[in-house]
Amino acid sequence: MDYQTHEVRDIDVLVIGGGIAATFAAIKAKEAGARRVVQVDKGTVGKTGNSCFAAGVIHVCFPEDDLDDRLMRLTRAEGYLAQQDLIQDHLQDSYPILEDMRRYGVRLVMNPDGTYGRMAGRGAYPVVMFYSTQLMDALRQHAQAIGVEQVNRLYVSELLAGNGEVSGAVGFHQYSGDFYVFRSRSTVLATGSTYYKGIHPGQRDCTADGFGMAYRIGATLCGGEQNDQPANAMPARVDVGPGMNKWMGEGAVFRNAKGERFMERYSPKLKERSGLPQIIAFFCIEARMGRAPILMDATHLGPENMERLYQMLPLPQREFESIGVVKDGKFQKLVEFCPTGPTTRPGVVVDRSYASRTARLFAAGEACSPSAVVTGLAAAATSGARAGASAARCAHDSNGIVGDNGLVGELRERAFGPLARAGGLEPDHVLLELQEAVIPYDVLLLREGSRMERALKRVETIRDQDLPMLGAYDLHYLRLCHEMRNLVLTAELQLKAAIQRTETRNILREDYPFTDNVNWLKWIMVRKEGDRQKWWTEDIPIERYPLAPKREVELAYLWRVPRDLGIVSIQDGRVQWEFEK
Amino acid sequence: MGIRKIDMKLCIGCNVCVDVCPLDVIRLNPVSKKAYIKYLRDCQSCFLCEVECPEDAIEVVAVHERRMVTAW
Ligand SMILES: Cc1cc2nc3c(=O)[nH]c(=O)nc-3n(C[C@H](O)[C@H](O)[C@H](O)COP(=O)(O)OP(=O)(O)OC[C@H]3O[C@@H](n4cnc5c(N)ncnc54)[C@H](O)[C@@H]3O)c2cc1C
Ligand code: SF4
Ligand code: SF4
Repeated sequence: MDYQTHEVRDIDVLVIGGGIAATFAAIKAKEAGARRVVQVDKGTVGKTGNSCFAAGVIHVCFPEDDLDDRLMRLTRAEGYLAQQDLIQDHLQDSYPILEDMRRYGVRLVMNPDGTYGRMAGRGAYPVVMFYSTQLMDALRQHAQAIGVEQVNRLYVSELLAGNGEVSGAVGFHQYSGDFYVFRSRSTVLATGSTYYKGIHPGQRDCTADGFGMAYRIGATLCGGEQNDQPANAMPARVDVGPGMNKWMGEGAVFRNAKGERFMERYSPKLKERSGLPQIIAFFCIEARMGRAPILMDATHLGPENMERLYQMLPLPQREFESIGVVKDGKFQKLVEFCPTGPTTRPGVVVDRSYASRTARLFAAGEACSPSAVVTGLAAAATSGARAGASAARCAHDSNGIVGDNGLVGELRERAFGPLARAGGLEPDHVLLELQEAVIPYDVLLLREGSRMERALKRVETIRDQDLPMLGAYDLHYLRLCHEMRNLVLTAELQLKAAIQRTETRNILREDYPFTDNVNWLKWIMVRKEGDRQKWWTEDIPIERYPLAPKREVELAYLWRVPRDLGIVSIQDGRVQWEFEK
Repeated sequence: MGIRKIDMKLCIGCNVCVDVCPLDVIRLNPVSKKAYIKYLRDCQSCFLCEVECPEDAIEVVAVHERRMVTAW
């Protein structure tokens, strides 16, 4: 293979990723005085990841909002597994970040009097709206304008690390095949999360690469079993979405196979505007009772609703039109919905400056553990901003870039390995196997120990037998091979963490329906030590945080609701389904 | 797998669709200088190429044509 190797040296801050966390990190690193900031994306900055396709709303804590109340809601959504100090920082920063966005050229929906137009979304506080892909376009352009160097179509395969610190990253260009070595004083990992290339548009490049890269250099990860949003919900049989927030905000409803508006039963107050943990849990319970499919009914929406939807969700609305669901400005058909793949994430453990536990490595956005960064554009942006500024400080204080003692040659070989096995297994084939192991709702969304053990065995077989045989016809497939490796690792870490958490917190578990605030106010951590995988737990410093649950064991709220509705009972510490009796 | 076609008569080879596609589905033919669908199977029907093509040369349809594994 005669691909060249290029060295990009003397970088103060290397930012990996092209989403909102990464772009904010790059901008804020520059603003904090870093001289050379390089941002690398496997696609084109601003056109990739979740950020580009987010559904038009930003959750910002306005000065007039009750910050303590918002902190409580986010902490509860995380089942008290949140790093509350970081969540507080995020809420405090979110309004100034919104103002930054406007300064950088992002168009937001404003009232005629110049104040922000806020609209009811899911959740208790009204949201701010933006115009689809314009948001990331504006941020990309602003980053370029202030001198951030952006490298597109470069797949970062590994971090460069030695002597316990990170000194850059390596990867290959997907068009030229050239191998790049980035040497940096500090590095921000903002590579997002994953949905296992599942059912919705705009996520097939979210492939958990950062979790894999960080794990392989021995960074500490946490949160594989939890998230404030255990999954998303999307149109199931068509490539449309995301937009649930907005469709529900405009008055769409969910119906089960019997035509019942079931969310009224489970969540009489918020109904379809309940939080995602509730929506996902109640979807799963309906499915378990044989009442799937679940359909979104928006046929009653009027012209005003539709106009707003077209403004805020131009892509999904266009997608619906292309398949005849929306015609003549109206929803004509019901749309089947289902949960996406699980979105709990074994993210990088960070402190308040978004520094990881490995020197010179920072993380932002969904590359972080869920306890540190909640799902959403706002938290990705605020964490990116802090990570970028911290990384700039770290670069400033550093006295040079550490060498790599021959590592680069090995990483180059590893990067191109699958090209030498062009006749090997196709990444798509392995992807299907992996999806079948982890996406079914009764594995990681409606959990049960033996089902998860079975799924884990399957994932381990894929890891041991399929991954070494992955082959790439060309550079495009080479990227897919690397993505597969990271997805399989992520599935393994997710399942192992989920099996260890023997309780129901914000995700249903049939064999442990109780929330155990005596023994399980803990984070489950993992790190690679040599060839070993080291697992341990750390107590959440709950007494130092503003909010703490009662230290008791009680039936989880998500099970109390179906129990009170007579759908399940609890016997011998397990859930018993009434319809199975 | 939603990208259906790129109209060769309309395409002016500006490379915009190649740049914006998150999944590297589209490439420019070095000889004809027109865009073509190279890795159809990876298309995620995100419509970015269709929306950003200055000549309206691209058609995307939001149906799954690959096998999709769903939650149920
Ligand atoms: C369906 C859906 C709808 C949503 N709607 C909203 C909404 O309306 N409002 C809201 O606030 N939030 C929404 N969110 C959540 C929000 O989009 C995400 O939380 C946020 O965008 C995460 O940003 P990020 O920068 O951490 O990751 P991402 O935006 O996913 O960015 C990750 C980046 O890393 C790059 N990358 C990954 N691996 C590599 C590699 N190996 N080499 C180089 N680059 C790499 C990717 O190309 C990408 O640019 C939605 C999420 C989903 C899934
Ligand atoms: S964006 Fe349109 S005109 Fe430009 S290369 Fe692509 S298809 Fe051709
Ligand atoms: S629809 Fe999206 S994924 Fe498909 S070719 Fe166009 S830009 Fe690429």
